[in-house]
Amino acid sequence: MDVPDLKIYPKALVCEESNIKGDVIVSAGCVIHPHCNINAENGSIIFGENCIVEEYATISNKNKSPGNYEILYIGCNNVFEVGCTVEALKIGDKNVFEAKSIVSNEVEISNGCIIGAGCRLEGKQTLLENTVIYGNDCLQREALEKQGSQILQIDYLRKLLPNYHHLRKSNYDPKKIRSAV
Amino acid sequence: MANFMVESCVKFACSCGILNPLSKLYFCRHCLKIRCGFCLCHEVDVRFCSNCLENIPSSEARLNKSRCNSCFDCPCCHHTLSIRATSAQVARKSGEETPKEGDAADPSKVLTKKSYYLACLACRWSSRDVGIPDQISAKGAWPENEYVYQSRFQSILEYYQNVVIQNKQEKQEMMRRKTLKAHKFPSLTDRTGLNVSMIRRQIGWPDKNTPKITKATVTPSKALEKFDELPEKMFTEKLNLRNVTTIEQRHGQPAHQPFTVNKLYPQRKNLCIKRSLRCRQCEHNVIKPEYHPGSIKYRIQLFAAYHVPDVWLVSCEKPLKAGVLCQAVLKLSNPTIHDMTITIMDLPTQDEEYEMMEDLKKSFEKNFTSLITSSSTALSTSSFSRQTSITEDPRLVSKKTTADMKMLESSFILNHRDDSAEFDELAENPTVKDEHKFIVSRKSNKVSLKVNFTPNGDLVAGDEVIIGFTMQYTYINTVSNTPDKKEPQQHALTSRVYINMGRIPE
Amino acid sequence: MELPDIVYSKDEYVETASGNKVSRQTVLCGSQNIVLNGKVIVQSGAVIRGDLANVRTGRFCVISKNSVIRPPFKQFSKGIAFFPLHVGDHVFIGENAVVSAAQIGSFVYIGKDAVIGKRCILKDCCIIEDGAILPPETTVANYMRFTKNGTMEGGQGNPNFVPPAMQDKMVEFTKSFYEHFVKAG
Repeated sequence: MDVPDLKIYPKALVCEESNIKGDVIVSAGCVIHPHCNINAENGSIIFGENCIVEEYATISNKNKSPGNYEILYIGCNNVFEVGCTVEALKIGDKNVFEAKSIVSNEVEISNGCIIGAGCRLEGKQTLLENTVIYGNDCLQREALEKQGSQILQIDYLRKLLPNYHHLRKSNYDPKKIRSAV
Repeated sequence: MANFMVESCVKFACSCGILNPLSKLYFCRHCLKIRCGFCLCHEVDVRFCSNCLENIPSSEARLNKSRCNSCFDCPCCHHTLSIRATSAQVARKSGEETPKEGDAADPSKVLTKKSYYLACLACRWSSRDVGIPDQISAKGAWPENEYVYQSRFQSILEYYQNVVIQNKQEKQEMMRRKTLKAHKFPSLTDRTGLNVSMIRRQIGWPDKNTPKITKATVTPSKALEKFDELPEKMFTEKLNLRNVTTIEQRHGQPAHQPFTVNKLYPQRKNLCIKRSLRCRQCEHNVIKPEYHPGSIKYRIQLFAAYHVPDVWLVSCEKPLKAGVLCQAVLKLSNPTIHDMTITIMDLPTQDEEYEMMEDLKKSFEKNFTSLITSSSTALSTSSFSRQTSITEDPRLVSKKTTADMKMLESSFILNHRDDSAEFDELAENPTVKDEHKFIVSRKSNKVSLKVNFTPNGDLVAGDEVIIGFTMQYTYINTVSNTPDKKEPQQHALTSRVYINMGRIPE
Repeated sequence: MELPDIVYSKDEYVETASGNKVSRQTVLCGSQNIVLNGKVIVQSGAVIRGDLANVRTGRFCVISKNSVIRPPFKQFSKGIAFFPLHVGDHVFIGENAVVSAAQIGSFVYIGKDAVIGKRCILKDCCIIEDGAILPPETTVANYMRFTKNGTMEGGQGNPNFVPPAMQDKMVEFTKSFYEHFVKAG
C-alpha cells in the first residue's frame, strides 16, 4: 500500500498553501495555517492532536547526524504562533510558542510552557513544566495558573477555514489501515 | 520627504548653538528665533493615564501620588495588567432544598457569578498567584497593600511638612517686623518701637500673636549595634531562583522591596503628561497641546518646520576626496505662504560667534530684569515659580565644518507654498526668466540647487565631510507684536545650517 | 537624504483603480473582507488574514515585505470571536512585523521585526521601534514611543521621542514613499 510522506489524519485541517517537506504526520484536530514551513527532511515530525501552526512558523527537525534517524515528537494542544522558529528535540503537551520566538535544537520542552513573543531559547536544557519565558531578557517564571485550552479556537477555525482555503485531503486513517491489515 | 526615523544629515543650529534636525526645533514668533528643547521651559499641561486615557486633574493626581485609579502594572514584568472575568457557578442559597447531584444543569438552581481577577498577558502573572481574592465588580476594590514602614514614612512626612510651615511663618513674622506699617497717622508705638506683643511681653502676659504650631516630633532612627547572624539554612539550603524577586521587581515596589515572588502585588500605573513649551526669553508658548488626552492636535504649534525653509541633501558626488572640488544638489522648500528671498552666506567666524553669544546673554539679562520688574509690580509671583532664570547658556557650535563651500553668487527667490497646486496637475511652473545658473529645477515651493565644495586637504579616510553655511531668508511676520503697526513686517532672518555629506572612503 | 526610488517590475505588482499597489506575491486570505482605501502599498510576502475577520486600512499605508496582518481573537466562555482590524491613514508597517492589534490609529510608524500582540490599541501618532514586542492588550497613547526595551516614552510636547509634528512627518513620509515607488521602464 502506498504510504504518502505527509500523513493527514481525518479531522485535521491542512491548508494547501502550507509548505511541508519530508515525512510528517498530522494528527486529528490539528490546524495548519497557510504559509508555514514544516521541514522534516532530516527526520520525521509527528504532531499530536489539536496543534495549531500559524503563518511563517518554522518547525524543523534538525537532526545532527543524518544516519541517526530521530523523530521529533510534538505533543497535543501546542500552538505555534506567527513567525516562530522551533527546532526543539522534543515537545510535550499544551505549550505555546508565541510570535517570533526562537527555540534552538538542543532544547527539550515539557508541558504547559509558554515561550513569550520574541524570546530566544538556546543551549542544551530541558524546560520544567509550566515555565513561562517572558520579556526582553527571556526571564523564566513558573505559571501557577493553568492556561486556557485552545479547543475553542480550533473549533472556530475548523468552521471558518474551509470557507476560504483549499485544504489538503486527509489521506491516512489508522482505523482503515488496521482493518486492511 | 526623507525617512524621519533615520538621523538627518542636515542640522540647524539653535540660537543657543546646539545642533538639531529641523524636526526637533521650534520657532518663537515673538523673538523670531529658532529654539531647541533646552531653550524652552517645559510645563506639565495635562496628566492622563496612558492605558485608560482618562484625564486626571492635578489635585486628584497629587492625592493619588500621580498614579491611575483604575489601571495596574504587573509587579513581575511591569506590563499593564488586564482584567479577566471568570464565571463560577454557585449554588443558590435559597434554603429550600440543597441542590442535589444532577441538578446542576438546571439554571434555576444555579447562579452564575461573575468574578474578576487581574492577569498579565506578557508573563502570565495573575492576582490569584499571590492570593488576592477575586473581585465581584470589574473596577474592583483591589486591596491596597500595607507596608511595614508606612506609618513611619507618614510621620516623617508630617514632621517635615510642619517644619516647612514653621519656617514660612517665621519668615513672614520677620518680614512683618522689618517693614514698618505705613499708617496714615504716626502712632506712639511706632516711634518708640513698642508694639502690642512687646508690651504684652513686658507685662508678662503670654504672647497672643505667636501662632501655635503643634510641633510634631519624630523619634529619630537609630543604627542597630547588634543584629542576628544569618540563619544557618542560608548557606546550606539550595536557593530556588524562581521564588526570588529580581532587582527590577524590587525597585518596582520601592516601599516594600519584597524578597520572594509571593509578595509581589499589583502596582498602580504611573500617569503620563502632555507638556506645553514656553520660550524662556519672551514667555510666550511655542507648543500648547489640546487638553483632551485622546487628541493629537495642538492649540499652539510653532514648529520650526512651519517657518524656516527646510534643506535636504538630494545627491552628492561620490567618492569624496580630500582637496578635490565636489558637487552636490540641495533642495530647499518654503513652508510659508509668502515668497522668500534666500541668500547663502558664510558661517560666522569664531569671533562673530562669540559676539552672538554675548548678544544673546545680554538680551536674556535684559528680558529677565524686565520680567522681574513687571512681575513685582503686578505682585504676581507666578513668573518666579516658572524657571525663567534657568536659561541654556549659549555655546559655540560643536560641529566644525571640514569642507570649504563656494558661496552662491547671488540670492534667489523661493516661491511660497500652495496647497492647491498639489491637486492641480496642469499648473505650470512659473518660469523665471533670468534663472540663476546654480538652480537645477523648481517645483512649486521647492528649489534644487547645485553647490560646490572642497573637502579640506588634511582629511583622511573615514573622516566626515561637513559643509556649513548661513542661510538668510526673508520672513513675513503676520502677527505683529505692536498693535500700532498693522502691516505685516518683513524680517531678514538667518539660520546656520550644517550638512554631513558623508565620509571620505577608505 | 531623500528617499531613493524603489523600482518594481510591471509583472510583480497590480495597481488598482484607487491607486493601491499590491504585489502578486502576497497572501491575501479572504480578499473580499480586505478593504484598502486607496494608494496603499502591499509588498511581496505580506500576509493579510481577511478570512479571520475584516481588515480595513486607510489611505497611504505601507505594508512592507513579509509582514503579517492578523485580526486578533478573544476567548470567551462560550467560544472565541475574531475582531476586525482597522488601520488608519498614513500608517507604515515595517518588514517582518506581526500585527495583531485591534485598532491602529493614523500616522503610526511600526518598525521592522516588531510584534504587536493581540488586541493592542495603537493611538494616533505613535511609534513602535524596530524589534519592539508589545504584549497583548497594550494601549500605546498618542505621541508615545514603544521602545525595543519594552518601555513607553514620550508624550505630546516631549521633543525627544516622537517628533512634535509627527502627523506632518508621517503624511510626508508615506506620500513620498508612494511617489518613489515606481514602475520599471
